[in-house]
Amino acid sequence: MNDNVAIIIPVYNEANVIAGVINDLKKKFKYVVCVDDGSKDGSKVEISKSGSYLVEHPINMGQGAALQTGIEFARGLPVDYFVTFDADGQHRIKDAEAMLKELAKGKYDVILGSRFLGDSIGMKISKKIILKMAIKFSNITSGLKLTDTHNGLRAFNRIFAEGIQITLPDMAHASEILEIIAEKKYRYLEMPVTIEYTKYSMEKGQSMINAINIGVDTILRKFSKW
Amino acid sequence: MVIIQIVIIAIALGLLLFVFSGKQTYTVRAWKKIAFCFLIFLMIVAVIFPEMVNQIAHLFGVGRGADLLLYILVLSFIGYVVNDYIHRQNEKDVIYRLARKLALLEANSKLDIKNKK
Repeated sequence: MNDNVAIIIPVYNEANVIAGVINDLKKKFKYVVCVDDGSKDGSKVEISKSGSYLVEHPINMGQGAALQTGIEFARGLPVDYFVTFDADGQHRIKDAEAMLKELAKGKYDVILGSRFLGDSIGMKISKKIILKMAIKFSNITSGLKLTDTHNGLRAFNRIFAEGIQITLPDMAHASEILEIIAEKKYRYLEMPVTIEYTKYSMEKGQSMINAINIGVDTILRKFSKW
Repeated sequence: MVIIQIVIIAIALGLLLFVFSGKQTYTVRAWKKIAFCFLIFLMIVAVIFPEMVNQIAHLFGVGRGADLLLYILVLSFIGYVVNDYIHRQNEKDVIYRLARKLALLEANSKLDIKNKK
């Protein structure tokens, strides 16, 4: 049982799968923190029953906001390492463990999962094209060179957890995190992860048109920093 | 037509920078009020002396006063929309911070109760 890691899961309407995801994680990790982002289904009940920590957003604020809330809660736990994990079961615990092992060597502050270094099982070609474009875009705005910029699986140490402040509530937070890494010069590494695109996670996943929103918000933020 | 093109594009770009430069300092807010008053003043003048608008338009190389008014209107509208968008984003940010504080307070108080038991 690993009691030096806090797993942070943003949850929005995942009642069907969240219990399974938490149960698998609880077998390996003592601290699992779920942030319910104002779900309208039974997610909250499922989380309460699972014995993980539940932080409840009173209103729906988006995944980025939920991550920030989870990180802030987890700062209060007696752990040195943190992992962000998606609620829909598309990440593998094995990958998270490999990332933690690398993190424990102390050479990096944050380790990012990349599905393009690893495997993507069942990814649609249309999704692949949009993602590749998003990666290009994100690498330009952040100045980092990454193979995957919108992956929910990340592991980081306390220095990073204490320093990060995500302000973009929705999916644009993924680019924002990278900009923070570039700006504050955190030591980062990409590691291959496997993502399983099940029918469930594809239905739940980002609608491709949302890429426009993410792009505009990212550019707007660049402007307003001047 | 060249003068008006340069002027309008310059104003549009200036507006963009002005509104995007995020920080709503009191100087920025004051200038917005001055600009608003100026716009009202222009409107009154334009209503009383319709011919003058035509003359000013000709001065800038625009065919009709009505066209000039339309340009100004469109520019002000774009300025308003962008300004409003930024404003709403900032307000959302405040609300989210507040909601997060609330969520963390609640979660931590539950934690305390559990620990005391």
